[in-house]
Amino acid sequence: MLEIKNLHVKVGDKEILKGLNLSLAAGQVHAIMGPNGSGKSTLSYVLAGRAGYDITQGTITYNGEDLGALAPEARAAKGVFLAMQYPVEIPGVTTMMFLKSALNAQRRARGEKELDAIGVLKIVRQKAATLNVSEEMLKRALNVGFSGGEKKRLEILQMKLFEPKLAILDETDSGLDIDALKLVAEGVNSLRDPSRAMLVITHYQRLLDYIVPDRIHVLAKGKIVAEGGKELAKELEAKGYDQIIKDAA
Amino acid sequence: MTSAAVIALPTRRVEEWKYSDLRAALGDEGFGSGFARAALGPLPQGLECFYLDDANRPAWVTDVYGTLKSNTVSAVSLALAKGGVALRVRKNQAVEAVTLNFSGAGHVRALLVLEEGASLTLHESLSGSDTRNIGFEIVLGANAQLNHVRLSPAAGAAVQVEEVAITLARHARYHFHNAAFGSKLSRLEMYIALEGEGAEAHLTGVCVINNDHADITTRMHHAVAQTHSTQFFKKVAAGKSRAVYQGKVSVAVGADGVDSRQTAKAILLGSQAEADLKPELEILADDVKCAHGAAVGDLDADSLFYLRARGLSENEARNLLLHAFLEEAIPEMALGLVLDQVNDALERVSA
Ligand SMILES: Nc1ncnc2c1ncn2[C@@H]1O[C@H](COP(=O)(O)OP(=O)(O)OP(=O)(O)O)[C@@H](O)[C@H]1O
Ligand SMILES: [Mg+2]
Repeated sequence: MLEIKNLHVKVGDKEILKGLNLSLAAGQVHAIMGPNGSGKSTLSYVLAGRAGYDITQGTITYNGEDLGALAPEARAAKGVFLAMQYPVEIPGVTTMMFLKSALNAQRRARGEKELDAIGVLKIVRQKAATLNVSEEMLKRALNVGFSGGEKKRLEILQMKLFEPKLAILDETDSGLDIDALKLVAEGVNSLRDPSRAMLVITHYQRLLDYIVPDRIHVLAKGKIVAEGGKELAKELEAKGYDQIIKDAA
Repeated sequence: MTSAAVIALPTRRVEEWKYSDLRAALGDEGFGSGFARAALGPLPQGLECFYLDDANRPAWVTDVYGTLKSNTVSAVSLALAKGGVALRVRKNQAVEAVTLNFSGAGHVRALLVLEEGASLTLHESLSGSDTRNIGFEIVLGANAQLNHVRLSPAAGAAVQVEEVAITLARHARYHFHNAAFGSKLSRLEMYIALEGEGAEAHLTGVCVINNDHADITTRMHHAVAQTHSTQFFKKVAAGKSRAVYQGKVSVAVGADGVDSRQTAKAILLGSQAEADLKPELEILADDVKCAHGAAVGDLDADSLFYLRARGLSENEARNLLLHAFLEEAIPEMALGLVLDQVNDALERVSA
C-alpha cells in the first residue's frame, strides 16, 4: 500500500530525512520509534503533504500513485489520515462544524453524497461516546482550551469518523493517562482491517502492549537504522537507542 | 462652488488623513454639484421624520443641526448640502427598527435625536457607486439607547466619506456595528463624546476589501467620570488594498473610573495588501483602565494545513478561517444583516 524509497526531505535548508526506506502492506500495523529530533514528525508531515517539506530525492508511492504530487486535501480524500503530535487550535470554528465540513469535503471529493447536519451529528455522537468525548467538547472551538489528552482523543475521533485507508499516528499516546491510552488503543484496534494500514509513531513500548505491531522500524538521523518484530520494542526499552543503533551498524 | 469646497478639503499632511488622500482621489470634480439622497424605510410608530430640504425647520432640528460636526469634510457637507433627513424619538418611547439608505452623488446630511429614555434600532445602508459625502449627527439623551448597524457595500471607483458625530448624555448607550467592503476611497469617521456619567459606546466592525481602500477613524472622548467604551475591529485585505483603523481615545481631566478598550486586527492576503492600525490614547485623568492593541498578520499556516489535511480544499480552509476571524467582531444585532455580504466578499477574496 505504501512504498517509501530512498526518501530525502529538506525543511528550509536543512536535510532532515536522508534516504529513508519503508514499506507497509494493507492490513498491517507498523510502529516507528526513534530518538527526539530523528525525523519522525517530519516523515508524518511529508506523508500528509505539508507545505515547506521538500522531497529532494526518492519516491513515496501510495496504492501505485505518486503521493508527493498530491495536495493535502487530495490525500485525505484518498484515505490518508495523520493524527498530529500537536493538533492545532482554531478559534471561532466549533468542533462539530469542523467535523461536518471535513467529512463532507472528503465525501464530495470522492463523489459521495454529502450528509446533512443531523446525519453527521448522529455518526459523531455514536463515535464520540466510545472515546469519552463529551457533547460539550463538540460545541467548543476546535481544540481551543482542550487538555492534551482531549486533543488526542479528538484526533482519534476523527480517525474513526473518516475511516482512512492509511492512518499515521504521531505520538498519539504522549500525555495520555492510562484510561485514555486504552481508549485510544481500542479505537485503533477497532479499525484494524485487511484493507487498512497504520503507522504508529511512539516513544513508549507501553502503547505497543495494546496496539501490537506487525513490525517495528527504528528511525535515527533521518534513516531507518533497525527493524524487527514486536519484541524489538522490549529490546529498545532495555538497551536504549544508542546500543541498538550500534548493534545494527 | 466646487472649487471652494475643494480648497477646504484636507490634504495628506493632516495627520488624520495620512492614509486617505481625499484630494487626490476626488480630483478636480470634488464631490460634484449634485445632491445625494437619504431615504427611509417604512416609518415605525413613534419615529418622527423631517426632510431637511424644507426650510421651515422645527426647533428640535435647528437646536442641534450643525452643532456636532467636527471635521472639515463634515463642514463642507454642512455648507453645501441642501437635503437629508432628521429623525426624532420622543421621551421614553421605544421604537423598533428603521432603515435609512443613502444613495446618489454629492453631499447629504442626517440628524437623529433620541430624547431621554428613548430607544431605537437604526439600519443604515449605502447604495450605488457614487461619490458621496454624508454628515450625520446623533444626540442621545439621558438613558437613551441606540443600536446602529451600518452596511457599506463595495462601491468601485467612488469616493465615499461619512462623518458620524455623536453625543451621549448620562447613562445613554450606543452600540454600533460597521460592515465595510471598500471603494477607491472609503472612509467612516466617528466622533463620539461621552458627556454624561455612566454613558457607554461599543463599536465593532468588519471589513473585507479586494484591491480597494477602507478607512475607519474614530475619536472617542471620555469627557466625564464612569464612562465606558469598547472598540473591536477586524479586517481582511486582499490584492492591492489598504485597510485603515485610526482610533484615538481621550480621557478628560478628572474623568476617573473610565474603562476603555480598543482592538484592531487585520489579515493580509498577498504581499500587496496593507493595513495601518493605529490605536492611540490620550489620558489626562488618574484612575482609568485603558487597553489597546493592534495586530496585522497572515492566515495561519498551521491552521490551513490542519484543515486541508482533514479534507477541506485550500479555498474552503481559507474561507473558514477568515470567516471565524471576522465573526468574532460581529455582534448578534448585526449578524442577520451583514453575514451574507461578508460571506460573498470572502468568496471573492478566497477564490
Ligand atoms: N521548520 C523547521 N526548520 C528547521 N528545522 C526543523 C524544522 N522542523 C523540524 N526541524 C528539525 O528537524 C529535526 C526532526 O524533527 P522532527 O519533528 O521530525 O523530530 P521527531 O523525530 O518527531 O522528534 P520528537 O520525538 O521530539 O517528536 C529536528 O532536528 C528539528 O529541529
Ligand atoms: Mg515528533
